[in-house]
Amino acid sequence: MVEARGLQKRFDGVEAVRGISFTVPKGECFGFLGPNGAGKTTTMRIIGCVSPSTAGSFHVFGLDPSRFLREIKGRIGVVPQESNLDEALPVEENLTVYARFFNVPSQLANQRAEELLSFMELTEKRNAKVGDLSGGMKRRLLISRALMSDPELLILDEPTTGLDPQARHHVWDKLFELKGRGVTQIITTHYMDEAQQLCDRLVIMDRGLIMEEGRPNELVEKHIGREVLEMRLPEKLISEIPKDDPLIRGFDTYKDLLILFSNEADVLLDKFQAMGIKTDYATVRRSTLEDVFLKLTGRRLTE
Amino acid sequence: MNPFKPVRFSPRQAFRVWQREVSVYRHVYRSTIISNLMDPLVYLLALGFGLGAYVTRIEGLSYIQFIAPGLIASSIMTAASFETTINTFVRINFDKVYEAMMATPVTVEDIVVGELFWATTRSTIYATVMLAVVAALGLVHSWFAIFVPLMGVLGGLMFAVIGLTYTSFLKSIYHVNYFFTLFVTPLFLFSGVFYPLDPLPQIVKDIAFFSPLYHLVSVVRPLVLGNVGMPVLFDLAWILVFLAIFTVVPVNLLRSKLVK
Repeated sequence: MVEARGLQKRFDGVEAVRGISFTVPKGECFGFLGPNGAGKTTTMRIIGCVSPSTAGSFHVFGLDPSRFLREIKGRIGVVPQESNLDEALPVEENLTVYARFFNVPSQLANQRAEELLSFMELTEKRNAKVGDLSGGMKRRLLISRALMSDPELLILDEPTTGLDPQARHHVWDKLFELKGRGVTQIITTHYMDEAQQLCDRLVIMDRGLIMEEGRPNELVEKHIGREVLEMRLPEKLISEIPKDDPLIRGFDTYKDLLILFSNEADVLLDKFQAMGIKTDYATVRRSTLEDVFLKLTGRRLTE
Repeated sequence: MNPFKPVRFSPRQAFRVWQREVSVYRHVYRSTIISNLMDPLVYLLALGFGLGAYVTRIEGLSYIQFIAPGLIASSIMTAASFETTINTFVRINFDKVYEAMMATPVTVEDIVVGELFWATTRSTIYATVMLAVVAALGLVHSWFAIFVPLMGVLGGLMFAVIGLTYTSFLKSIYHVNYFFTLFVTPLFLFSGVFYPLDPLPQIVKDIAFFSPLYHLVSVVRPLVLGNVGMPVLFDLAWILVFLAIFTVVPVNLLRSKLVK
């Protein structure tokens, strides 16, 4: 559905995207992960054909955006990171007026608005002002709005940022349902649990480049292994810990924190304790995508 | 420069943009139409009856009779100017209305054309309501007045083009004031709305030639009074030439502002 090769975007002298390639097949949920400033939102704007790329080849539905802009945009639904709901219109009209931009016949638009308000549990708010909605409701309304044109591809830029846990799970639930209906989804997020739950495949971006690509569990398996042992130690002791043990698949340090990747972290911890290494804090946990993310993009703050 | 350029505009999509404004207006017209028309009405009544008691005749007319058509013309200017400066600025920068539209099959060209025609619509509504008020006061003397709404269209479009051009350079909402204090208000006072320009020095008359409102007043007044002659055609031609030259300007300016 989406195919990009060597995609670049430069504005005002800054190279926000520096040559990325990816393919999103039909029906897949594809994720873009990365720290702030990695180029995720810019990539989303290129995919949504709002912002033209400056180099590389790029096709959506097999079409070239420079020639079939309207046709492509007519088949995409976009959920932006920050609400751009129409504050001048009440909730339901936000949906019906938006549908007109896609030339959805008004009867069909009214029917869809009805269905989507109920699907997103917003029916009671249909006449409310947008300004009176909670953050979670706004996000659900934004998703509803993007679905008014019955898009083949849905682009979601950080769909749950700023939501409370209940609202996040609600949104995930709805995105799952949409996936079940065969809607292709492209999402950006910096919540690793979100990516792990929703994405079939994902890329990790950093500084305008793709660092890694794959299925979430495969990436964890490839870079980390099954488990992680975290220990806090005096910094000079960290360097003395033997890291060539066959049980250790890799490691990462950050100040007084030592993070060891292993398939048998319990055994490793026992070993260290037998060696007489004392630590205030030591924990064994399942490895997650977050470990992969931090390993690839570094632990330092990017901004 | 811009690879999206060849798309141009589609009348249907521009109509969709215009329709959005109509949908919004349906929620607010009751509260805005009165306040927007209060301004010209206060001038009409205060100056017409107040100052009019001292000014006996201008060009053979009572003072209220002289200023009434001029105030119809100036209401066209005010409506289009507000719509394309403050309101458009809010739509771009605060409400992000255009950003949302641009994720749909709507292009910048559609947005600009739709907005120009919406501002024009609003001017035409105000011109028509003002005409009705002036007629109710017994100040309309010719069936030519039925063309006044048409001047709402042409004059409204003219001021919409000017307003959008200004807004495309606007960085802060506070700078909107300059448009009104340095452009709209001087035009209002020096374009023959309140007095004929004849007694003024030649230099002022030369400057007035470049005032869009002056030409609009010069068309609307004869339409209301019935003394339509050749000079009206000249002022009409001035407006048409202005539109022919400048209508494309805001499209190009806003494209570079909105597509990044």
